[in-house]
Amino acid sequence: MYFSEEEKRVLGGESGPLKQKTLDFIVKYANVLGAERLCKVSKAHLFCGAHHYLEAVRSKDMDEIMSEMWFCSSEKIPFDAVGCFSQSDCSPVDHLNWSKMGCRGDEFRKNERYLDRCLKAGVHLVGSCVPYMTGFIPLFGEHYVTTESHAVLMMNSLWGACANADGIEAAFCSAVCTRTPLWGMHLPESRKGTHLFDVTCKPETVEEWDLLGYSIGLKLPPHSIPILTGNVERADMLRLKSCFASLATTSGPELCHIIGATPEASSLQACLSPSGLKDQIEIGPRQLNEAREILCDQEAGEVDYVSLGCPHYSIDQISAVAGFLNGCKVKAGVTLHVWTALPIKAVADRCGYTKTIEDAGGVLMVGSCPLVSEKWPAGTRAMAFDSAKQAHYIKPLTKTKVFFGNWEECLQASISGTWGRWSTWIQL
Amino acid sequence: MDPIIIRGRGVISGIASGPAMVCRETIQGWSGIDEATGMVIEKGHPAEGQTICGVVLVLSGGKGSNGWSSHFHAARLRGISPCALVLPKIDSRTGVAAVVCGVPTVVDLENDPFKVIENGDQVTVDGTSGIVTICKVSGSGQGVF
Repeated sequence: MYFSEEEKRVLGGESGPLKQKTLDFIVKYANVLGAERLCKVSKAHLFCGAHHYLEAVRSKDMDEIMSEMWFCSSEKIPFDAVGCFSQSDCSPVDHLNWSKMGCRGDEFRKNERYLDRCLKAGVHLVGSCVPYMTGFIPLFGEHYVTTESHAVLMMNSLWGACANADGIEAAFCSAVCTRTPLWGMHLPESRKGTHLFDVTCKPETVEEWDLLGYSIGLKLPPHSIPILTGNVERADMLRLKSCFASLATTSGPELCHIIGATPEASSLQACLSPSGLKDQIEIGPRQLNEAREILCDQEAGEVDYVSLGCPHYSIDQISAVAGFLNGCKVKAGVTLHVWTALPIKAVADRCGYTKTIEDAGGVLMVGSCPLVSEKWPAGTRAMAFDSAKQAHYIKPLTKTKVFFGNWEECLQASISGTWGRWSTWIQL
Repeated sequence: MDPIIIRGRGVISGIASGPAMVCRETIQGWSGIDEATGMVIEKGHPAEGQTICGVVLVLSGGKGSNGWSSHFHAARLRGISPCALVLPKIDSRTGVAAVVCGVPTVVDLENDPFKVIENGDQVTVDGTSGIVTICKVSGSGQGVF
């Protein structure tokens, strides 16, 4: 591998043990990938907080736990500084309404200790899975890291930025040493599409785009890059946010070209792999309906937990929820959570949307979600989500019923307390 | 029957042997593997209910959460880990997991292991030389997941 003079000095320990350890991890990772050199990252989006998986370390010492799980070091090395612009991803706790999500005081305080350490190291505590809606916008060709799978797809695909889906340890290490392997999505020649998806249905709603992403992922082989064509003219950031969240649930691409919409796909030829298409796959109404059958329990029944906002809601989506709930009441015994990022909630507070939602009996939550926190109200018998990602991942974790539908169906369920006829079949 | 040899790129050094668990289907991150038991819990996965503990895991790739490696990391700290990894084509998720697991690992194989290795085969992985040795034993030959 080639190393710059600066990298050699860091590996030699001249910049301290944390930079040395983190760069050493990145070099090992680069060797596994077969990368010949490293590149410099300018932004890092990090899974900060007292997440459940940290409990695997048999220690009460926060620095020991961080060292092991974030920097892969059995030797304790305090996390004292990041080397680039860094924002936090979701944590397991809403620091404002932690008790309403079922967190205990000690869980809240523990999470705050972890976040405080991250803050002191220079991480902005945004606490969201949608960094691109809160000031984290890498430009075309810019190298970054993120711990959120759909965020990779969004920022690589929509802006031509460069990151791999390389996860928590690599992201924390890169944030400190500001290097990542020059491999995969960081190389233009690795960003060409392999599979053409002809969208013959006409997805319009966010739910239909969510189901579209889920369906594409079910058919996409490993190590592939999809190219979307057909009826994709309604693509926009909100629809793609949900589409890419579910695409990154049922498969693992780090880039998705949309002909005529994304910057590297002005035409099929522009984004196509030199070796040509490996397959051409049609996605029609049948595939979307099949996806919904997988995601939603089909027996109607009572609902006592409704969760909206995965990925975190935009201000437009919160405004729509407030408009729907204005003058309505969430049924007694039903919990309604609407999840977003803290900066977006500040706008919702200013615009009065938060108060409207709260007057109806719902709660505008920040910084987490049921999947990340693994929290839902005690005694929940049936939950409803407007997110394929949440429904997909939470089903194996619970014996309760899980319903999936559009945001209006979910809100109606929170008012009536029942999940009825689970919407009409998509006839598009 | 003579052992079958496949060559690849050795990326995590060391030698380990064990029964093969062959997953042509990728395993998801969240809700993919139970970190306390090593069992595959992904709904509908062909290997659902099987454990990764002590096996030579032959895996096509990762999908789902970017935190994919952290689930293998947490399992390893609880004493649950494959004894070796064979990754026919490396990707970023499995690449980090290989470093985190630290077990002998061979990647980017010259031949398709899914056509050669079946569940239960006795496999030796040399992560230094990049050689994967497969012994068909009585009772193996159980296909792939």
